[in-house]
Amino acid sequence: MTTTDIASAPVGGGYDRLLARRERRFASALLAPAFVALTATTTFPLLYLVWTSAHRVDLAMPFTNGYVGLENYAVLLADDRFWSSLLVSLVYTGSTVVLQVVIGLALALLVMDMKRGQGWFRLIAILPVVLSPAVVGMIWRTFMLAPEFGIIDFLAINAGLGSQNWLGEPKLAMLSVIAIHTWQWTPFAFMVLLASLASLPDDIYEAARLDRASAWQRFYRITLPLLRPAIVMVIIMRTMVALTAFAAIFTVTAGGPGTATEILNLYAYRKSFTELSFGYGSALAVALLIVTVLISGVLFALRRAK
Amino acid sequence: MSGRGQVSFRNIARTYGNFAALKGVDFDIREGEFFALLGPSGSGKSTTLRILAGLDAPTAGQVLIDGQDVTAVDARDRDIAMVFQSYALYPHMTVAQNIAFPLEMSGHSKAEIGPAVHDAARKVKIEHLLDRKPGQLSGGQQQRVALARAIVRKAKLFLLDEPLSNLDAKLRLETRAELKKLQRALGVTAVYVTHDQEEAMTLADRMAVFMGGEIQQIGTPAEVFAKPNSIDIAGFIGNPPMNLIPARYVDGDVTIGGHRLKTDSTLTGERDVVVGLRPGALRAASDGVPARVDLIEDLGDTAILDLDCAGTLLRMRVSDIEIPNEGDTIKVTARPQDVHLFDPATKARL
Ligand SMILES: Nc1ncnc2c1ncn2[C@@H]1O[C@H](COP(=O)(O)OP(=O)(O)O)[C@@H](O)[C@H]1O
Ligand SMILES: [Mg+2]
Repeated sequence: MTTTDIASAPVGGGYDRLLARRERRFASALLAPAFVALTATTTFPLLYLVWTSAHRVDLAMPFTNGYVGLENYAVLLADDRFWSSLLVSLVYTGSTVVLQVVIGLALALLVMDMKRGQGWFRLIAILPVVLSPAVVGMIWRTFMLAPEFGIIDFLAINAGLGSQNWLGEPKLAMLSVIAIHTWQWTPFAFMVLLASLASLPDDIYEAARLDRASAWQRFYRITLPLLRPAIVMVIIMRTMVALTAFAAIFTVTAGGPGTATEILNLYAYRKSFTELSFGYGSALAVALLIVTVLISGVLFALRRAK
Repeated sequence: MSGRGQVSFRNIARTYGNFAALKGVDFDIREGEFFALLGPSGSGKSTTLRILAGLDAPTAGQVLIDGQDVTAVDARDRDIAMVFQSYALYPHMTVAQNIAFPLEMSGHSKAEIGPAVHDAARKVKIEHLLDRKPGQLSGGQQQRVALARAIVRKAKLFLLDEPLSNLDAKLRLETRAELKKLQRALGVTAVYVTHDQEEAMTLADRMAVFMGGEIQQIGTPAEVFAKPNSIDIAGFIGNPPMNLIPARYVDGDVTIGGHRLKTDSTLTGERDVVVGLRPGALRAASDGVPARVDLIEDLGDTAILDLDCAGTLLRMRVSDIEIPNEGDTIKVTARPQDVHLFDPATKARL
């Protein structure tokens, strides 16, 4: 069979193309089951979500259920709580991502210069990442932020700031959930940036020293541009996760006090599962999806630029 | 005292853990000189160069540049330009940005930098590559960019660490000649590390031969070639290097394979020696030592013969008209002034 194929294949590039086509067909066959499974588990629920968002599905008032078209979206655009939760989401995402990258990079630079103990540092640093966000939330709520007994509050008292209602006061609660997310996920940025830093060649830094670049110039003109792809990748990955964060905030403040820490994801959850308005909850979820896609689209475009 | 680009190493030592990479190195480089550090791999040449550049610190000793002790001065403040073996180009910058970098860092204005970059690029013939990134260049082109970056700032000292070792043979020869011209034109003091004795011989005004973390000899290439002062250097310099044969010395004569060979030594008495004979200094003579031709390496205009002389291997360089056949027996000798004598115990020249 092979021989006839070779014989019948056109001379030169034709045979290569034949092989390539066959390889593609084989690859498709291998990928098909995974593709079907993925479609079943992602695309279908997504379509169902959009479908639901065009309906009134209210378990509290089932007699009003039915197709409503874009009504949920019209309500959403006029919903102050939606806009406030979107703002909370953006502030939460923006500040946690910036903090993770800045602190992660600073730590990576420090650890790169450590002669000893790098391994230990990495081991300890990875711990928060492997904890479940719900557990992290519990730890912070009890050990760290509890009035008088929590480590943070204890430190605040000793620093002369007095005991603070970390989770009860709106601004402090927002600061707290941002700090918790940053605490848990900075190690991820740290690890990625450290690996990227370690892969930079030593010799260009020596060349830069002889070229009379100061430490700051070496960082700004050499390290930063060379780390740019890794930094952008970390920003993209962490932005997507932060936009859809849930468990840690849910366990620490549940969005409160009031709606001070209610990110969009949490609002959609509350609408759907606390108030049992599945139609409107779905519309909120679709809105979150659109925001996420838009932001990652912009980030990917930035990544490709230059 | 004044001058520009004088270097003195005073008893420089460098240890890594308990391994001594440099065991007390002394040399002086004069202003405008092309000075080569020659030696086999691992002999401490790069360490010496890095200490001179300030990229590495000596464990003991002093480095003086233009009469000033710079041992504790940072690399940034030594006014030294260097071409790395790996080229060490900034991968995210274009060729033009790479060359401009040292000028930017010393605070030159944009108006000065543009022409200076073009000038340096022209000197090494890479003007057409200015907009490319290093990743888009061949090894030879990258090497030129590294050169341009080093010459664009008129530094006091110009250091090169095996700059040609990653180039193919033809390009290496071309670049070698250009390097020499460039250094002459710039009039700058250059320190050149190489393990290739041919490079050192052709480029250097003077050279220091490194062996095992020590300098064994300093001199012009011609001096070192004519009078290697130890067995190690004799076995390293020259291509192929000197034949080294244990022999017995009696009042001016040595005995090799039962035959006497005259030397110009005035030592009296009898002793064991190692005789050094350059392959090119051996010549055929009817009263010479008989030797069988085991192997012929024909290099075109010359040939290297492997001779078996009563059990010892002798290598001989002959011109293409005198090539014998393998298996022939020929008679070889050397002029008295071409016979080098070394002490087998101390390895020093006698
Ligand atoms: N940073 C270092 N740590 C340990 N050993 C080193 C270091 N740098 C160089 N050496 C050792 O010092 C010796 C001399 O090295 P080097 O100066 O690079 O030799 P060369 O350039 O002559 O080939 C080598 O044996 C090398 O292994
Ligand atoms: Mg070296």
